[in-house]
Amino acid sequence: MSLSIRRVAIMAEMHGRDLTRRHAAIALLIALPLSFYFASVGSGASAVLAGGVGMSFSVSGATLFSVLSSKEVDQRLVLGGYGPLELLLGRLLFLGPFGLVIALAFSAAMSVISHPARPLVLALGVAVVALQSVPFGLAVGAALPRELEGTLVLIGVIGLQLSASPDSLIAKALPFYSARQIIASSLEQQGSIAWPLFRTAIYGLVLLVIARIFVARRVDVTQHSPLD
Amino acid sequence: MPDALKISQVAKRYGRTTILEHVDLSVAAGEVVALTGENGAGKSTLMKICAGLIRADHGDVRVAGRIGYCPQLPGLFELLTADDHLVMFGRGAGLSRADSLRRGYEVLEEFGFPVADRAVTRDLSGGTRQKLNLALALLTDPGVLLLDEPYQGFDRGTYVNFWDHCDRWRADGKAVVVVTHMLAELERVDRVIELPAHPSRSHYGSGR
Repeated sequence: MSLSIRRVAIMAEMHGRDLTRRHAAIALLIALPLSFYFASVGSGASAVLAGGVGMSFSVSGATLFSVLSSKEVDQRLVLGGYGPLELLLGRLLFLGPFGLVIALAFSAAMSVISHPARPLVLALGVAVVALQSVPFGLAVGAALPRELEGTLVLIGVIGLQLSASPDSLIAKALPFYSARQIIASSLEQQGSIAWPLFRTAIYGLVLLVIARIFVARRVDVTQHSPLD
Repeated sequence: MPDALKISQVAKRYGRTTILEHVDLSVAAGEVVALTGENGAGKSTLMKICAGLIRADHGDVRVAGRIGYCPQLPGLFELLTADDHLVMFGRGAGLSRADSLRRGYEVLEEFGFPVADRAVTRDLSGGTRQKLNLALALLTDPGVLLLDEPYQGFDRGTYVNFWDHCDRWRADGKAVVVVTHMLAELERVDRVIELPAHPSRSHYGSGR
């Protein structure tokens, strides 16, 4: 079946409607990175890093929920004509820009309060965290069967990213390492962002491929042979 | 009438438990078949296999035309309205927004769904959600209808209305399979197939 932009757009629209009607959830999505930031705002650079990487809890959490809460409907949608990739891209199309809006507002607030050396690089770093969080949430949501397991994996991975030494091997293997590097470089007058951006893009694509494989398995619908 | 659904030697196990064993069933276009059996006999599993939602371990299912499947529990997005669902499901079948709503309203109004109500499905009663669930199965005018206890939560009037609709679907040439425990209504169907509780007794034919 060919990919349909209209089907992707409808999926994005419906996920947008669903999420924007969850007012308490949206408030928490905004409050979560803010609380990470304000909890350590007195300690200088670490507050910006904690808040910036902490953004990933919000966006990947929202993404995870959108995948796992519609597990039963998704297979019925595939039976009704959608492709697994269209279901994924529909979520990506809404949650990517949604995460970007939160990221830009949040990085603007951090710039005003913490005065990073390069505010635009900070905005870029937080935006990269938000964008990377969508394929990460999609991959975790597609690979794990239930919300509890998915949430624990999110907490584990992001918590490790925040607490592990940036020079350690484990930190470098995690999905937000490069975004963290960009945020860290925004606090200084120099530092390359090209390589971290490239690495994040590759990592994001790999996560999307993983999500695609698991979603296709989960919502698989057998096409029966037609009767003569 | 020609067959619209043909199930041949379908078997399904979950671990060591045999759910279905060598099931054969044919349903003709313009025929309404009731599928009965004890809890755990595999009625819902058979319907899901026919819809393609789960794979049989063995056997073959062949279908003429599009399938409309109404699951026992309405899998809906809790914070989307009926309109949202109609548009989303209609788009999957290539319908425009206007056509999805027009066709959906026709079905919903027949079952007494309050189409003017823009409530999200979380705020609907169980029976009203089930009406939407049924409408989504009928939205694209499928030739084969697989209805797994589709009237749960319906009030008496809507329940009777549902069986009247079975007569209409028969007249329209649809092949309809209804999972039911309502023995009083079995006289309204063309055939009753009882799935045995014990797979060792499960060799039965189409019975036509």
